[in-house]
Amino acid sequence: MFRSIIEERPHWRNTASEYGFTFHTMHGAAYWDESAYYQFSLQQIEQDIEAPSEELHQMCLAVVDKVVGDQQWLEKFQIPEQHWDFIRNSWQTKESSLYSRMDLAYGGSGPAKFYENNADTPTSIYETGFWQWLWLQDQVNAGKLSRKADQFNSLQEKLINRFAQIKFQHLHETLYFSCCKDTDEDRGTVQYLEDCATAAGISCQFIYIEDIGLSADGCFTDLDHHKISWMFKLYPWEFMLREDYADALVDSQVSWIEPPWKSVLSNKAILPMLWKLYPNHPNLLASYFEEDLKNSQLTNYVKKPIFAREGANISIHLAGEQVYASDGPYGDEGFIYQDYHPLPAFGDNFTLIGSWLINGKAAGISVREDKNKVTQDLSRFMPHIIL
Amino acid sequence: MKRTENIDLDVMRKSPKLFAFKPIVLAVAAGTLVACSDPTEETQVYRSAEDCISGNPDQVEQCELAYKEAVNEAVKSGPKYSSMQACIQDFGPDSCNSYTTQNNQSIFMPFIAGYMFSSILNGGYRSAPLYTSYSRHSPAYGKWSSTDGVLYGSSNSNKVRVNDNAFKPKPTVRRTMSRGGFGSTIAAKSRFGGKTSRSSWGG
Repeated sequence: MFRSIIEERPHWRNTASEYGFTFHTMHGAAYWDESAYYQFSLQQIEQDIEAPSEELHQMCLAVVDKVVGDQQWLEKFQIPEQHWDFIRNSWQTKESSLYSRMDLAYGGSGPAKFYENNADTPTSIYETGFWQWLWLQDQVNAGKLSRKADQFNSLQEKLINRFAQIKFQHLHETLYFSCCKDTDEDRGTVQYLEDCATAAGISCQFIYIEDIGLSADGCFTDLDHHKISWMFKLYPWEFMLREDYADALVDSQVSWIEPPWKSVLSNKAILPMLWKLYPNHPNLLASYFEEDLKNSQLTNYVKKPIFAREGANISIHLAGEQVYASDGPYGDEGFIYQDYHPLPAFGDNFTLIGSWLINGKAAGISVREDKNKVTQDLSRFMPHIIL
Repeated sequence: MKRTENIDLDVMRKSPKLFAFKPIVLAVAAGTLVACSDPTEETQVYRSAEDCISGNPDQVEQCELAYKEAVNEAVKSGPKYSSMQACIQDFGPDSCNSYTTQNNQSIFMPFIAGYMFSSILNGGYRSAPLYTSYSRHSPAYGKWSSTDGVLYGSSNSNKVRVNDNAFKPKPTVRRTMSRGGFGSTIAAKSRFGGKTSRSSWGG
């Protein structure tokens, strides 16, 4: 695994606007960065990322199974009590899930270490599944990269196939896609997933999260007052379970993507649970709940809120001293503590691997780079190849 | 190969589509004009079950059943208002009725003005409810309209030309009581630190 400089495609910004990739530059800074790429060997991809990702996913599912059946753990996971049955039900009836992204620390050798699981509302799927695919295509055609260059990225293909599978449980239903207002990135992500669902033959509509209505007879409605029965939401369950419409969730009988049991899978409390169930697993970092920290012998650790996104409210503690802290609005629900295992550095960049899974099958990676030790939402997305 | 074998780039392209057609939104429900699908069938419109029976004396039972079904379909898929006044505004005076839902909410809906009835083989039939509006403000004024606002021509006529879709059940129209019950957390969280670094609520 190494980082190589490469010439940018001369007109890539025009190409981006042609394909509707509107968020390649955010807040005045580059988000998509093709001035360099990462190169992996096939062995690194298959042995160090693909296989462990699928194994980690199965381990996470085992944790979900344990947590939904146990009041003590549901409390630990900060799941509001009135929704326990709702979530348990969704798990026991095996409601279909679509995708997730695991964040891994991996620098080319040794076992990849599992940072966390974005299993409910992962983003950067468009950049991964389509945009970096197009980059490789273009660079090979321009003679800048070898014809033998490949990419770990069957994401779009697997997404479409997965939608086609799920469709059979929803014949003649419309799938509503939803995200919050005022974010180009989320809107772009949802549009991409809608395109994939359309390619799978599903009839799709879009509605903003804030526009969802509740009808007199307890249904969620679109702006034409039609019942919403099937919905993809790029909006976290931990928010939804605490908002005004939370009490309407059961009666509304919506089939959700991702399903409610993802609120357990995407929860950071899964990290100490994994360590309890699979201690010393090579891909896991030692992790503890607050009350277990004292007896843990952990001296260098990262403190993460149980609910948080995009690297907010994370602090690093080395030998009893806080050496880094990001701010943010999270942390009310408590924290977990994870063994400090810094990201590999390539030059002065810290590099994080996002490993994508479609229904449990490893489907590709995204590579993010940051000058900071903690990857935040403005870290740069870099393409990669296998050679 | 570890990557997607082929992607149809034409499908992925999002550049502005030429000749985009913007449908005219009508006041009645989500009204659309029947534009490109050819009407294929002329069907009889009856204003009541009796009207239907006098035109089809050998199909008394079918006429009565079809009427009941049309009324039920209208209750399910027709426009619903939260006040009598709003209903009258779209359909005219003496054209609306109040209903009480299971959880004791009052809603207001127009009466059906008639129904399409068309015999098929073996004594079967197809039917669908029709509205008309007596309000000059409404695009359905003096016209037959389906429950979802498709207009079929003058309501003076006892015949309409329709395609197959006209007889298909329409999605149920609910009465939306409120909106905005999801999305409040992000409003609270984005107050933190202004709007400097917010780009996604995913992760």
